[in-house]
Amino acid sequence: MQGIAKQEPLKENSKASNPLFKWWIGILLVLFAIGGYFIIERLILGLTTTNLSSITPWGAWIAFYIFFVGLSAGSFLLSTLIFVFGMDQYERVGKMALFTAVVCMIIALTFVLMDLGRPERFMNALIHWNVTSILAWEIHFYVVYISLLVAELYIAMREDLVRLTKVDSIRGKIARMLTFKNSTINEHTKKRDHRWMKILGTIGIPLAILGVHGGTGAIFAVVSARASWNTGIFPIIFVVSAMVSGTALLLAIYIIKTKVTGKEIDQGMVVSLAKMMIAFLFIDLLLQFYEYLVGLYGLEHSHLQSLGTMMGSSYSWSFWGVQMFLGAVVPIFLVFYKKTATNINALLIAGILVVIGIIGVRFNIVVPSQIVPVFEGRPAGNYFPTFNEWMVSIGIVAMGLLIFTIGDRLLPLEDTQHAEKLEG
Amino acid sequence: MLKQLLEKDWNNMVDAALPNPDEELNQSPYNSNLGLSMAEDAKKVVNGKLDIEVFHKKYHASLTSEFGDLFTQAPVESKKENGVKWGMVIDLRKCVGCDSCTVACKAENRTPPGISYNVVLEEEIGEFPNVAKVNLPMPCMHCDNPPCVQVCPVRATFKLDNGIVTIDNDRCIGCRYCIVACPYGARSYDFGESYEDEMLGFNDVSSPEYGIERGERKPKKTPIGTVRKCNFCMHRLERGEEPACVETCIGDARFFGDLNDPNSTVSKLANSPRAFRLKSELGAGPNVIYLK
Repeated sequence: MQGIAKQEPLKENSKASNPLFKWWIGILLVLFAIGGYFIIERLILGLTTTNLSSITPWGAWIAFYIFFVGLSAGSFLLSTLIFVFGMDQYERVGKMALFTAVVCMIIALTFVLMDLGRPERFMNALIHWNVTSILAWEIHFYVVYISLLVAELYIAMREDLVRLTKVDSIRGKIARMLTFKNSTINEHTKKRDHRWMKILGTIGIPLAILGVHGGTGAIFAVVSARASWNTGIFPIIFVVSAMVSGTALLLAIYIIKTKVTGKEIDQGMVVSLAKMMIAFLFIDLLLQFYEYLVGLYGLEHSHLQSLGTMMGSSYSWSFWGVQMFLGAVVPIFLVFYKKTATNINALLIAGILVVIGIIGVRFNIVVPSQIVPVFEGRPAGNYFPTFNEWMVSIGIVAMGLLIFTIGDRLLPLEDTQHAEKLEG
Repeated sequence: MLKQLLEKDWNNMVDAALPNPDEELNQSPYNSNLGLSMAEDAKKVVNGKLDIEVFHKKYHASLTSEFGDLFTQAPVESKKENGVKWGMVIDLRKCVGCDSCTVACKAENRTPPGISYNVVLEEEIGEFPNVAKVNLPMPCMHCDNPPCVQVCPVRATFKLDNGIVTIDNDRCIGCRYCIVACPYGARSYDFGESYEDEMLGFNDVSSPEYGIERGERKPKKTPIGTVRKCNFCMHRLERGEEPACVETCIGDARFFGDLNDPNSTVSKLANSPRAFRLKSELGAGPNVIYLK
């Protein structure tokens, strides 16, 4: 299928007729349908379908929620490197990063919705705003953040959308719908769009760091009842690990997408992105090291117990196996070992492993602290996600990937050169 | 001769012997009118015709300007909490660990499986031969600064003027952040389970928590899907009864009353040298006080 794409780059249908693409959409639809069944089961039966309890009230869905908020914040911050700080070498992933950020927020909020005991009352969070609640602030930040992402994505795509209006296809139709009457490109609009990108990106940086992801970390960090969350560095670790996962995800998406569409891979950029991912990972590991060191040194009983649960109990496979080995040791090796350092496939694996590692990080944040009884003498928790929880999670992620794939087909998210080819 | 003296003469004699008050006051370096009017108002305060706070408010500025640094008394702070503040004292020496409080609580509040507003933690401490068994009954602490209220995103849980931390189950979205934030583990999520299989008619009626009659317990119906907690049996308090756990305690280990009233039993016990509070270092300010 690589050949087809190369021979007929002008035809819109060449991508849609790709058999791999059909398989991909088909599998996603099936997964979404299966997940949908379990989502409905969960909505009818309530949270009894989960292994959650009053001892461990938050579980897999909350872990996935903070994971996807992190992915979103990470992808967005990566996009600001391009649009605000002018790192043009990453231009190719810029719009993709913004779109990924939007889709990840949709997934994250769907996870929260699934986790609510009363999903139908979710609007209460906007109507009855408790100003002392970090969670309430977060919900408001998410709304502002998503609006900003959509606005920025629109401006970033505007030029390509205007070009696409002349093409007679679904993409063209959508482009015509989206551009309204605002369909001129000249030096003035280019300058204006560029300025707005910079302004929105600049507003977005503190919003994403402080508001969206630092704030999500603060949801946990402010809880003085749980010693292992209750540290000042905790929200910072959230932000840094978001950068790690965001960079890794974009690296993986870029490689997979270019491979599938049969275009040439920009190896220099891939290697550079991988290096950046590992740099963030090192900062993340450093912060975690100090976090654990200070916790251990404090000798506070409940803090030691949570660290013990994370690193030396039946849950420790997630810490040592997923977070440390798969998520840190292997990717660092792949990026630094000479034979794999420039190998696209190895770097793709490194990126995917880092993303999986961060999922482990999120689970290790949420679960072990809630296994240790909050008051000494109360029973300890025992949590592992049920089949329903896994299937709902798969369904939601499949939904997100469907949105991503369809959006990717219909919107000009790729680099500008491709669109220019279309125009010619 | 003595008989001839009239009342007038006596008055004249006294006036002559006493110094002239106006002259005497004029010798003072300070404003005597202020003192006179203060004395007049002080009489009213004593008679109960004037509030002491109003008195202080009225004269504080003049006194400061008159006496400057010599006047050091700050205005009296008004006590706003005039109402009751419910509190509980649990005497651990009297507790025998019979769990009847837990049973009474479950019966009164008809809590479903997995939820108990009151628990008794039992622990053996020390090494043989110096061992002791400690029973720790734990209802909700109804903290002064409740961490659960702080974190609730929708203001569904809040503190009433009488000190009770309540939940508006009709507003709660079931996010369970409060359960995570409570340092005492006093809150539970209602998963919708029921004793119906073992106890006929369990679902027929819900406990009228906060005075709200919710009728039959059915899936998807409040309070299922929301967070629940001890409310000091508010529906009983409104009828003038003690909470079920206090009433039922076989060793009379629990005391219940108004912590704002310095003469109440709970106030006196709460200030005894035996009194302590759980996790007081967190600053939540629990209003369930234990006696060692």
